[in-house]
Amino acid sequence: MEAEEANQGPRWKQSISRLRQKFKGGANANVARLRRRKAMISSLTRRLPFFKFALFVVGYIWMLAIPSPRLGRGTYIDENALQPSQVNTYWNWGDVHAADRYLEQLEALRDVNSTSEQRAHFLETEFKKLGLPASTQNYNFSSSAGLITGTNAYALLGSPRGAGTEAMVISASWLSRTGEGDGTLNLRGISTVLALAGFLKRYSLWAKDIVFVISDGYLDGMHAWLSEYHGSTHKNLQSDPVELTSGVIWTALNIDYPGHSFSHLGVFFEGLNGRLPNQDLLNSFQRISRNTGHVPVTVYDHIDPREAPQKVEGLVSNLPKILQDNPEIQAFSYQAKNVARHIGYQARGRASGVHGLFHEYRIDAITIFAIPATGPHGFHAIGRIVESTLRTMNNLLERLHASFFFFILTDHDRFMKIGNYLPSAVLISIAMMIQGLQTWVRAGWKGEDETKLNEKQDGSSGVTPTQQPKRRPVGRALAIMTVAHLVGLVVFTALTQRLFIENIQLLAPIMFILLATIPFIMANTIGDTGPLSLVLKSFNLCLASTVISIITVLNFSLASSLAVFLGIPLSITSSSSSILTRVIKTALYSMLGFGWLLLGHREILSAVHDWEVLQVWFAPFVCLVYVPLALQALTVCVL
Amino acid sequence: MTLMSSSKTPSPPASTLNFSVVLSALVAARVALTLTGLPDVLRDDHQLASPLTSFSQLQEGIYLFNHGVDPYSGGTFRHSPLFLTLFATILPNSPRICSLLWTLCDGLGAWALVQIWRARQNVTSSERDGLIAAVYLFNPYIFLPTLALSTSSLENTLMLILLMFAARGKASPALLGLAFLVHFSLSSIVLLSPILLLLNTDQFSHLASPRPLATSIRKVVPLLGEFVVYFCLLALSSTLVSGGFAWIPQTWGATLMLPDLTPNPGLWWYFFTEIFDHFRPFFLMVFTVHLLIYIVPVCIKFQHDALYATFILLGIVGAFKAYPTLSDPGLFLSMISLFPEIYPYLRHPIVTSLLHLHAFLLLPLFHHLWLNQGTGNANFFYASTLVFACANGAAIIDCLWAGLRIAIGKPVEGYSIVQE
Repeated sequence: MEAEEANQGPRWKQSISRLRQKFKGGANANVARLRRRKAMISSLTRRLPFFKFALFVVGYIWMLAIPSPRLGRGTYIDENALQPSQVNTYWNWGDVHAADRYLEQLEALRDVNSTSEQRAHFLETEFKKLGLPASTQNYNFSSSAGLITGTNAYALLGSPRGAGTEAMVISASWLSRTGEGDGTLNLRGISTVLALAGFLKRYSLWAKDIVFVISDGYLDGMHAWLSEYHGSTHKNLQSDPVELTSGVIWTALNIDYPGHSFSHLGVFFEGLNGRLPNQDLLNSFQRISRNTGHVPVTVYDHIDPREAPQKVEGLVSNLPKILQDNPEIQAFSYQAKNVARHIGYQARGRASGVHGLFHEYRIDAITIFAIPATGPHGFHAIGRIVESTLRTMNNLLERLHASFFFFILTDHDRFMKIGNYLPSAVLISIAMMIQGLQTWVRAGWKGEDETKLNEKQDGSSGVTPTQQPKRRPVGRALAIMTVAHLVGLVVFTALTQRLFIENIQLLAPIMFILLATIPFIMANTIGDTGPLSLVLKSFNLCLASTVISIITVLNFSLASSLAVFLGIPLSITSSSSSILTRVIKTALYSMLGFGWLLLGHREILSAVHDWEVLQVWFAPFVCLVYVPLALQALTVCVL
Repeated sequence: MTLMSSSKTPSPPASTLNFSVVLSALVAARVALTLTGLPDVLRDDHQLASPLTSFSQLQEGIYLFNHGVDPYSGGTFRHSPLFLTLFATILPNSPRICSLLWTLCDGLGAWALVQIWRARQNVTSSERDGLIAAVYLFNPYIFLPTLALSTSSLENTLMLILLMFAARGKASPALLGLAFLVHFSLSSIVLLSPILLLLNTDQFSHLASPRPLATSIRKVVPLLGEFVVYFCLLALSSTLVSGGFAWIPQTWGATLMLPDLTPNPGLWWYFFTEIFDHFRPFFLMVFTVHLLIYIVPVCIKFQHDALYATFILLGIVGAFKAYPTLSDPGLFLSMISLFPEIYPYLRHPIVTSLLHLHAFLLLPLFHHLWLNQGTGNANFFYASTLVFACANGAAIIDCLWAGLRIAIGKPVEGYSIVQE
């Protein structure tokens, strides 16, 4: 090579040697490489605060933009086998009459204040009159709030065309989901299921067994039935075995029809622990409802305000008229309402209806909620829609798998894919991770104070952790974190005690005060601070970032809530010498971390109930993950 | 996690607590863990027990064996015939008693680890003993597979015991242990050369003062011969016990041919589920040879400290072997506690720890999303195994760097170290 280069003309030679010098860096390549590396590191370090800030800003703006009508896309059917709304329906006025007769009998039962057993017995008899094998199931749950008992009734329609290895469920609970089971009865939903049982039996096109379940209570009845059907045991549940069993349940429809008639059908889909059904089920139902039943569909019970322009409410009502009329703002405010409702259910792991219990057993299920109105639809429409939806579900050759399991439904026919919303929380967690690693590097330097640090950053030597290394008190930081998690465990154990639940008004504030003092006790026992505060902050940020980014896949709403609550607060924790700032910081971080003990008594009760009866891990998550993170942040401030 | 906990500031002078008391307390805590409901939940977890190490499959093999069916005639039983005979005759077979046995084996492993530490430091006891035992016994990568009764935990114990003998210069027991280990898990053959090296040199730390190999390489030959004799004897007895050679393709063959593509935290299974069949033999060869190419460079580079070479190769085997469980990388991570001299030279311990934290949380989560919840698919779990591989890789690279860097001495202001 050398010889060849020498033979070239002088200009070639010059340019080549120049190039080589550029790459090799003249005499000593290693020195140039080191310089380059240092320059790169120092320029990176200089830009890191901006980069971090940008990540936070982009992440939060992205979260706010999720309801935007410009993001997301229209829903579509992914599974070819479904063929929704492609069949003639046979449900007719005669069947509506049958439903009306059932309704009369149920209303009579309601008026005489019948017990659960009486009702279940009545339902069993009615199913048997139709020629279906039927049975009842007693159950009782014991939780720290008391005993819940009830009786379910169910019937089985064996498939005339299949081996009975697969099944679909149509269910209705005794209590409607109105007000999360506040006592409104779902009599028309039950009448629909009874009338459907008689109707569906007349047709021989079912390739899957159909199971009719009338569950008692709101969620508890179906939980007991499903647990027994799948043979899973819970230590606080005693129930009769399910005598009549069918095959694997693939899909389920839960009918909730509390009013006299309805204008829209609302679809509820969030399950326990933030699980969602396959989107194909929602989309099929939505299409069938519009095309076969001619009933408009909405998400939840949110009727789009654009359909009734005279009633403007919510976010938009505070805006000037010109903005109120802007279609984009109208769409955004409506979709924001839907997304907020979704986050409310998913983040707390709460089921938005009885369907949510099915998801735990890998059954795709939704609740069809007939939004009470003065008209125009009734038994005729809902019967046809359920019939057609069942025909669609009957077409399935394998479990629903093609469409999305991770999505945010912004409107009944619009949704966001996982790739379009997930990065928002992940960006924030990356920013927290960067902050954590930066703090870790800072903790390893001899000069702690900011001025010295800035000097170092500006200096030509750049930033290398090996420079003046200092031992970081890793062991003590880990010890504090262990203690914080043990405290979380103690809090959780305390919350699930009957004593605590009964005296929550008194004991919750006491617990709040105890939690707020623990960091001071830890700080006093440890004494010497040094860089411990920095190391702890770094670990706290890294752990929080890890938790957020990992939870995004499991439960995006919970992850984004964590990102909102912890993102900035954890990043700006610092110890301070002034007493006043310390007091303010302590108050703020205590409220952030344990404020729910003062303000959210109802939330605590329902979260503990959900954990004890339905195994929703929101309560343990808050106690074992969130509270320790807040405790550590508080400790950083008081160290 | 392991990295962090062990780099804490030196504690006040020798605590009076007796090491045996600490060890018994730790083991007692571990026994308490087995009494919870965890073992039944974890038994068949893919991350804790591979087809080659699963307790359920061992029991099935014993059932077939006791009922006069050759367990190696089907495709389910892939344990060594020696395990089969041991569990069919002397050792208990009920999960409850086995839990205890497994935990005691872990305790033995921790004890052996402490013995290695003492031999390396040339002391009879030290204040780090309790810490080292705790790092082994409470490493989640170690105790979870033990709760799941994976036989890989027993292999880890065997590994530590044979290393203990090797560190004490007791050649024959060490070679016999190694023969057993290779017999149980063929990938361990990678460790043969550093252990032979260790038997020929000493166990003390020479990381800070490297020197060329003092002894002649020819001295290795009789030791190698001894190993081959032991190994052949074990193979012969296996053949006698199982009544034929059918066990070879089912046990060693499985490591090489990967017939069972049950998911595990390693890197092989997904690759071979996706690959076209006509490329399979080639890539099996590539994956197997890949494990072997590290032996010579690592042994040459660490010829002055064979124990460290063994440690690095253990990490490589744990990360890249065919049917790994969490306990394989776990052994490597716990062994970091043997080499406190390298801690100041670790380059990115926090990054490695965070990678392991992510992997440790992601593996069960994505496994659950795919196989229990049904909302994810195989790619999810595969992605988490990649994170795990990155974490293992980062740990190995970091230890490799620190082990070499220590020889250059303390960092000096204004000077930088560059690798040519």
